[in-house]
Amino acid sequence: MPKKFTWLSLGLGGIFATTTVVLVVLFILKAWWGLPFNVGGWNDPPPQPIAFPHTQHVAIDGINCAFCHRNVLKGDSASMPAVELCVFCHKTIQGDNAPPEIQKVIDHYNNNVPINWEKVHRLPDHVQFSHEPHIRFLTETQGLKLEAACSTCHGEIRDMVEVEQVRGLKMGDCVDCHRNNEQFTENTGITDCTTCHY
Amino acid sequence: MLISRRNFLKLASLSTIGAVACNFFDENEFIAQSPVRLPEDLVTGIDNWYATSWSGPETEGLIVRVIEGRAKKVQGNPLFPTNKGVSSIRSEALLQELYHPDRLAGPMVRTGPRGSKESFVSAGNWDQSLGILYDKLNSLVDHDQMLMITGAKRGSLAFLIREFINTYGGNHTVCKSVDELIYANTVKEVFHQDTLPHFDIEKSDFILSIGGDFLGTWVSPVKHGRGWGEFRQGEGRNRGTLIHVDSRFSMTAANADEWLPITPGQEGKFALSIAFVLLDEGLVDKAIADDFTEGQGAHALIEFAPETIGDELGIPHVRHRSTPDIIRETARAFAKRGRNSMAIGGGNAAAHTNGSFNMNAIYLLNHLVGSVNTEGGIVFNPSAPIPELNVNLTPHSMLKLQSATKKITDGGIKLLLIHGSNPVYSMPADLSFKEAINQEDIFVVSFSSFLDETSQMADLILPDRVTLESWSNDIPDPGPGFQVVSMGQPVVNPLPGIVPMEFGDILVRMGHELGMTDNPAFKNASYYDLLRDHANKLFGLKRGSITKPNFDAFWNTLLQRGVWSDLEEKALSPDLSEVHSKSLGIPSLIDTLKQKAEPAITGPSGSTHNIFYLVPFEHISLADGTNSHIPWLQSTPDPITSVAWTSWVEMNTDTAERLDIKEGDIVNIEGANGKTIAAQVYHHPAVPPTVVSMPFGQGRQSGDVYSKDRGPNPMEILGMPYDKHAGTLAWASTTVRITKTQERTPIPKFEGIVPAYATSEGETIAKITNES
Repeated sequence: MPKKFTWLSLGLGGIFATTTVVLVVLFILKAWWGLPFNVGGWNDPPPQPIAFPHTQHVAIDGINCAFCHRNVLKGDSASMPAVELCVFCHKTIQGDNAPPEIQKVIDHYNNNVPINWEKVHRLPDHVQFSHEPHIRFLTETQGLKLEAACSTCHGEIRDMVEVEQVRGLKMGDCVDCHRNNEQFTENTGITDCTTCHY
Repeated sequence: MLISRRNFLKLASLSTIGAVACNFFDENEFIAQSPVRLPEDLVTGIDNWYATSWSGPETEGLIVRVIEGRAKKVQGNPLFPTNKGVSSIRSEALLQELYHPDRLAGPMVRTGPRGSKESFVSAGNWDQSLGILYDKLNSLVDHDQMLMITGAKRGSLAFLIREFINTYGGNHTVCKSVDELIYANTVKEVFHQDTLPHFDIEKSDFILSIGGDFLGTWVSPVKHGRGWGEFRQGEGRNRGTLIHVDSRFSMTAANADEWLPITPGQEGKFALSIAFVLLDEGLVDKAIADDFTEGQGAHALIEFAPETIGDELGIPHVRHRSTPDIIRETARAFAKRGRNSMAIGGGNAAAHTNGSFNMNAIYLLNHLVGSVNTEGGIVFNPSAPIPELNVNLTPHSMLKLQSATKKITDGGIKLLLIHGSNPVYSMPADLSFKEAINQEDIFVVSFSSFLDETSQMADLILPDRVTLESWSNDIPDPGPGFQVVSMGQPVVNPLPGIVPMEFGDILVRMGHELGMTDNPAFKNASYYDLLRDHANKLFGLKRGSITKPNFDAFWNTLLQRGVWSDLEEKALSPDLSEVHSKSLGIPSLIDTLKQKAEPAITGPSGSTHNIFYLVPFEHISLADGTNSHIPWLQSTPDPITSVAWTSWVEMNTDTAERLDIKEGDIVNIEGANGKTIAAQVYHHPAVPPTVVSMPFGQGRQSGDVYSKDRGPNPMEILGMPYDKHAGTLAWASTTVRITKTQERTPIPKFEGIVPAYATSEGETIAKITNES
């Protein structure tokens, strides 16, 4: 019996260990090539200092993406709106007797303290990404509206109470898209390494 | 300690944990910050530098700093062989052309009276606007009734224009007021060259410069400036000597070792007087001397002996030296350096009715000392590397433009296309170009990016892209002595709301719609494709500074560097000094003597106390007025007077005092045909007493707040004297009558407005007073 038990326990232990290793490796590979499995909060959106609802601002109020992210049409970075921009509206919209989250914004403005949002989409330092040509391609060549162009990579932001990452935005993701759209662009070097790594 | 596997894994784990625990990652990496206040131009600070080029008065290779899609700074391209990393104020101001508030946003069509700014409304989108142009071109029964006026062009655009005109039919005139046609003709006659030569200032020891302000505005001042630095302070060489002969104290005169003021129009005689001394004193090779005097030697030029001609030249006695002494000493110094001496000239020396004679006499001096196509002398430039780029649309003569204007007046032109030129402003008022096009049965199309005097007279304006938004290439003229092709690319997109179209693209599209596709110039889908096609031919040569295995790599490198060059491809030419001049068809001094003519001066004559020679000059930044809408260039102080934002008339200090004219006084300046303009007086002790000078470039009648109403345009009072040989405008051969008015305005200048203060207690500041 003891011998049988030993073999059984060893076998079960081996299966457990192998499964664990495989799962860990799968987890790492999935995270490496795309997004991690959403277990244990690994893929949850990061907590933000202010609960800013895109649902209210985009879906209900109909504010254009570029109204706040005003550099997205002309530069590399989409840019975060200044607190001042928020206050322009919230001086009158719920400015008096403001709910707590809006009051936080007003406090930041009054105290001259910037808001440090947690980044949701991050790229490594050796990758250069410019929003402007991507938006121009998607709107001018593909005929998408601005919001749809943004959603191509960022998902349906209008439905997100908290912004989360929906695409891996890893190199494979970029290269696939560049290859698929190569024929539509004037840039013949669109899949060159130096397009993004320079 | 023995590192076992277990210990190694422990240490590795510890160091990893330590790195994380010790805040290995910068927490800012995870933050996207909303600043409290957002400046209008908040930028990330990440910049890109793009190479491009500008074909202004001279071709400059540029690099442009671009941040967030906005061009921020223009600098010289260090890889570009002519300007070698430096740039002119004019190219740096291209940013203000790009972001000018008065740029035309899109096509405009005239709906009201001709010549009124308010008459223009949007012509709709580009398809509709080009449809109007197409209808006009297509409906013209006699294509000879089409005239295209352009500025000087080179490279693929010149090729495209030429092919368009040749295929469609019609007429073409290249218009520039202050042109170098006589200089180009002289180079052709005296050196048998089709391209302008490179002055090897860098390696020269002695320069005799007559007329042209080569360090300020003449031909290629940025390139000359690079050579000048070496000429004066280059390592391992002696400081070069410059003698400048000019009737105006220009920037070149200010930099010269000796400036010899001369009576306007006498420059050719001065050059022949130098030639006489060279021959008379045996300072040049006898065989060459005999060759160029047909065996007569100095006797052939006896009438130009300094002792005979000295008084006619107007060169004042300097430091107890008589004029003949000055000429002889200059000639000896010129001959002493032999092949490392250069005689160059142009500018106002060519702008006389005897300009061709002056210029031929000046440049023949180089043959006498053997500095032709030699190091330190005048170096020839080769032709373009491919035939398509060997098209050089140089300015046509005043007579040709006059003939074209007459044809318009007579109703012979029904469709007029104008690109890169503003003849209503820049040509003499006596040409009456404005009156010629002010009729209803002519359709005028302008391709200007701004409303100016000429585009305001148009029926349709199709605004071109400005330099920093455009594709281009160019063959620098003059080049650096070897083959060079510049490449220009758009470094930014037009701003939102500004929708221009490249002139090249308009020509290509018209070519397609008019069925010109049999012509190879119009087989490409766009102007960009034409440039790539020409670059591909360049790639096919398999030589030069860019050698890549395939065309795409070649093209990318060409854009990256902004230039292709081949140091080995120089002008193939015999050493002219070793060959009999007659066998090459080069005019001898005897031939030049036959051209001899006195300058025919136009304008008031009679009592001389208030009559002066008028010697206009190109403004250092505004040029001939092309740039007067650019505020940076308006605010650039003139290097001699420090005046900005206005025009002025330079007058000798003593002469002005004699006429009781103070600085800032407004004087009436009466020129040819009794026409009068008014300008502020600027006193200057170095203005010759018989001369007054004024810059071109101001006096714009339309345009914007930066260019309008900023002093007069001397072109209005020049009349239309011209050189009989070349037919070009003799813009320096007018006299004027100066009459003081009762008005006075402080002159906007930088000099003398900062008071001097003692820097320490008890220090004395010198003060000049009239007290005895």
